[in-house]
Amino acid sequence: MTDYRFPVSVEEALDILDAHAASSTPSGSGSARVIAGGTDLILDMRRGKRNPACLVDLTRIPGLDQIRVIGGVVEVGAAVTFAAIQEHPYLRQHVPALTAAARSVGALGIQTAATWVGNIVQAMPAADGAVVALALEAEARVVDRDGAVWWSVEELFLGPGRSVVDSTRQIVTHVRFPLPGHSWGTSWQRVGRRASLVLPIINCAVRIVLDGEGIEQAVIALGPVAPRPFRARQAESVLTGQRPTDEALAEAARIAQGESDPRSSVKRASREYRLAILPALVRAALHEAVRRARGSER
Amino acid sequence: MEITFVLNGRAVVVDVEPTRPLLDVLRTDLGLTGTKQGCDHEGECGACTVLLDGRPVRSCLTPVGKVTGRCVQTIEGLGVPGDLHPLQIAFIETGAVQCGFCAPGVLMAAKALLDRTPDPSREQIIEALDGNLCRCTGYARMVEAVQLAAARMRGESLPAPWAERSVIGGSPLRADSIAKVTGQAQYVEDVVMDGMLYGAVLRSPHHHARLVSLDAEPAVRVKGVVRVLTSADVPGKNSFVEYSRDEPILPPIGETVRMIGAPVALVVAESPAAAQAGLASIAVEYQVLPYAFDPTETLRADAFPIAGEDNVLTEFQVRHGDAAAVLAESDVVVETGYDTAYLEHAALERETLLGYLDEADRITVVGGTHQPHWQQRYIAQALALPQEQVRVILPPTGGTFGGKQDPWPFLAVALMVYHVRRPVRLTYSRRESFDASPKRHPYRMGFKIGATRDGQLTGIHVRILCNTGGYDGHGQYIANYALTASGGAYRWSAVDGLARSVYTNGPKAGQFRGFGTAQSTFALECTLDELAERLDLDPLALRLQNILADGDRSFLGYPVAETMGYREVLEAVRPHYQAYCQEVRAFNELRSQQGEPLRQGVGLAGMWYRFGKSGSLKSEAHAELAEDGHFVVYCSAPDYGQGTNTVMSQMAAEAMEVSRDGIELVNADTALTPDSGIQGASRATYWVGGSVVAAMTRLREEILGVAAEMLDVSPAVLSVEHGRVAVRTEPGRAVSLVEVAREFDRMGKRRRVAGFFDLTPNFLTENRPEYVPFFVTGAHVAQVEVHLETGTVRVLRVAAAHDVGRVVNPLDAVGQIEGAVLMGLGAALMEEFIPDHTTGLSDYYLPTAQSLPEISVHLVEVGGKFGPLGVKGLGEAAMLPASPAIVNGLSRAIGARLRTIPATPERVLEHIHRSRVVR
Ligand code: FES
Ligand code: FES
Repeated sequence: MTDYRFPVSVEEALDILDAHAASSTPSGSGSARVIAGGTDLILDMRRGKRNPACLVDLTRIPGLDQIRVIGGVVEVGAAVTFAAIQEHPYLRQHVPALTAAARSVGALGIQTAATWVGNIVQAMPAADGAVVALALEAEARVVDRDGAVWWSVEELFLGPGRSVVDSTRQIVTHVRFPLPGHSWGTSWQRVGRRASLVLPIINCAVRIVLDGEGIEQAVIALGPVAPRPFRARQAESVLTGQRPTDEALAEAARIAQGESDPRSSVKRASREYRLAILPALVRAALHEAVRRARGSER
Repeated sequence: MEITFVLNGRAVVVDVEPTRPLLDVLRTDLGLTGTKQGCDHEGECGACTVLLDGRPVRSCLTPVGKVTGRCVQTIEGLGVPGDLHPLQIAFIETGAVQCGFCAPGVLMAAKALLDRTPDPSREQIIEALDGNLCRCTGYARMVEAVQLAAARMRGESLPAPWAERSVIGGSPLRADSIAKVTGQAQYVEDVVMDGMLYGAVLRSPHHHARLVSLDAEPAVRVKGVVRVLTSADVPGKNSFVEYSRDEPILPPIGETVRMIGAPVALVVAESPAAAQAGLASIAVEYQVLPYAFDPTETLRADAFPIAGEDNVLTEFQVRHGDAAAVLAESDVVVETGYDTAYLEHAALERETLLGYLDEADRITVVGGTHQPHWQQRYIAQALALPQEQVRVILPPTGGTFGGKQDPWPFLAVALMVYHVRRPVRLTYSRRESFDASPKRHPYRMGFKIGATRDGQLTGIHVRILCNTGGYDGHGQYIANYALTASGGAYRWSAVDGLARSVYTNGPKAGQFRGFGTAQSTFALECTLDELAERLDLDPLALRLQNILADGDRSFLGYPVAETMGYREVLEAVRPHYQAYCQEVRAFNELRSQQGEPLRQGVGLAGMWYRFGKSGSLKSEAHAELAEDGHFVVYCSAPDYGQGTNTVMSQMAAEAMEVSRDGIELVNADTALTPDSGIQGASRATYWVGGSVVAAMTRLREEILGVAAEMLDVSPAVLSVEHGRVAVRTEPGRAVSLVEVAREFDRMGKRRRVAGFFDLTPNFLTENRPEYVPFFVTGAHVAQVEVHLETGTVRVLRVAAAHDVGRVVNPLDAVGQIEGAVLMGLGAALMEEFIPDHTTGLSDYYLPTAQSLPEISVHLVEVGGKFGPLGVKGLGEAAMLPASPAIVNGLSRAIGARLRTIPATPERVLEHIHRSRVVR
């Protein structure tokens, strides 16, 4: 029988993981594993992909269910669900890309359980939560026996479903992202085979920071166009210092298309289709983010 | 591990593996079967929605360990009969419950919404229900129900919206809805019997292979396995008899299996896990053979043989006049090629059947189907038993849309019970249902239609290939239906039509709502739209101009026999058509000025649908005056969610001239009810309803006769009232129905009488065609929006008009049509089963609540000539015009013709790039 534990502190959670790590085999059986929402993990277990001896549920550790906005940083705990993100008044007003991405994950009955942190740790190239995290230049706090280290989220992704984080001995307790000081806006665009309850054909998150009339910084994140959630860095760099004219944004979108290398899927869409719509999504996202950066809403 | 939580307000403790899904613990360990399972624990259907601390969660994805110490609410805690929650009441009153399988999940999601948002907008409701799949209702009634409940919970006192409508037999509300909205309805999955065993099926992993050897021995030794069955264990005919002429129940060694999912052996075991372990240890050797999915390929002279002569199952032809010559002389000829995909019924309840020996030791199978008496016959032949020793009972059924017509699971369960003599349940996984259940036939269609310059239709030339997959599966009749639908309710001076049902190694195709007519209706109505564009004619005017009049020779070469209100349905959608067109013109002008990549289009499509029968034109039902004075109706009009239980009671009540509550309905149990013939939903009202009315009318006459004697008056002054027969002319003078029943018994008169609806005298066998030519008609208009840069499509509005002869139950009729519109939308835009790729609900895209357009339904009543009370058929037909209307609207929006459905964003974008109009 699998053990199911609710540690009340991160310390205790690490203790439980450690205790099992000592007795586990090299193949990982016998180990304990972190669970948050569980909506992916339970599927993986059913399919025989994971077989932990103990589940360490983080959702009752005090504080981890908090969204905090302090000192120009938003910090989101490991137990914060996509539903909680959508409903957060500050995020709704100021980071609409994040709340929209949160609404894109499965359906409400999944968003009430699934967490942003969990979605990032799963490291799927199309994960809505991971793609928006890139655009926000988010960092993740990875804790293990050696202490806590803030990693850039982008560096956590190794390949499809493969993360730097080893959930049998490490815990991501928080994700945080900076709030640029002035004139910034975000946008979320997504196309799927139907309006909801579906994986994206392409998803795209953008953050723009304006400096007067020019673009100080653009971040363009895309999925699934590479083995990992992807940042279109060349497109970003051509925008730096530019005025956000229609031509400039269209040009950046074309460059983003050139950087992307999506795959074909018979059930979703071909590589060609993904490449064909990508500039339209990037352009729409850039335009919207610029509009928001100029206005009061983000 | 011991887990304590609060369930519907009470603390419960369970001792279970904490990683088990909450869903399973609720249903199995705690016996609360109101929460449903529609997918393989993968979060793709929402049927399992429960509330965790007030928020909706998927209980199939929730490890039970997670709910430790928290509050879980299930449908059982929402309200009980007699004390229903306002949402439950509103769901019943608005007709939001059809098969009801989705209802528990949807209701819980709706409750969570209203608890937080007492005054939700339509958008908020759709968002809250989004992701809870419903295959029957099309979501529209549900949105209305939530609005109604919310208003009432805020204190507004609102009447039941349909209460005012006087309908046949009183209230239109469904008799069985209370059980469904409270989670008390016992679907087969919810029934557990003492000593029940679990069946499982070994299926072919190959598209095409020869079965070389099979060793069941290792499986028999698996702990918990009771029995392994192979073809050698079929005591009678190892076949589906005439239903599917070339399909064995289990293939003998040396035979081929012709599709992935074809059954090979059965395992019966003490637990599902043991059954799976048993399957895994059966040793099978296959010789893999070449395969193909495309009928054009399997028809080639050098194609690898699959079955039949040259891989053809059947063909059907219609020819009159010299079509080639007429087309050659026509001012214009439009030539098109249309293709449709494999569709999966995806009823929310998976195939689940329960078999046992009943008190009379009969092999009894309980399962959703369209024709219990057919299943009874097939089982009897397979088991070499007299028919009376087999019994088939229809339980509450979570939808079928034709899918559960497949006799195979009935035969399999009967065979298992025959051998183990204990109760056996068989439940397909969703994956299994996708692999093995019959699909809608994909068609490849070529049309050539001619017209004069001013829009008079001339000749038509049609060629259709129906892909029947690896087996017949009733595809033998498909060619006939395919071709019949391809001509529509129009006048043609010459016809040359040929349809062929062709084998491939795709999944077997079978009955699917509309039985092979939706595909060719789609192609015809799109081709007509192309003609209208070519001639620069209004598509509505083009259709009106060519309507088949009473007595005209139809596409089939002879006149139709029933009234067809085609002109009336087209006129009914005209105002919508014009309003949409106007709005779309303004929208497109503005968007193109602003350079915005959105365009809209309006599409129109009509249809005719044959609901006439072949074979016997006689249907039978019984009516009984029970000892205690209430009425019992016995018929076989299976209700799998479309509402025949209610409709039959209504018609019986109307015939007896009493209200519906005095009538008990015994429906679809071969041991108790007469064979009323095969039901497509569209036939039940007409044929079975006819015999129910006949039986009740006859019983009424007999009751009045007896009462007249007792009261010593003329029967003409008597009326049947609440529990008594009264003399209308003398208030107070009456005799109770109990006394009348006693008098029947005293006289030795049977209180149960048979009624027949029989059109044989009207259509003498010698000179009638194979099917009596009864048709219903309908028309849809759709307003569609396309994003020019991504090819994504939204259907904004649909107006649907159908000739139903006479409305029996407006609530059900509207619900059927809305559900059909969504199903047609799914077929037009997203649904496609791709052999080798599609696995289940995660990659077969059903419409969700977000897909819901604004739908206005018009029920047109052009009274029928023969049917009871003037009714005609409806349920299946409603799906036909939806897909072509949407695709016509889409094609007009982008100025290019989509000829392959589903019109995925990718296909649409390709056409946009080809279009000269929008680029
Ligand atoms: S059974 Fe839970 S979502 Fe399908
Ligand atoms: S009523 Fe919703 S699935 Fe049948």
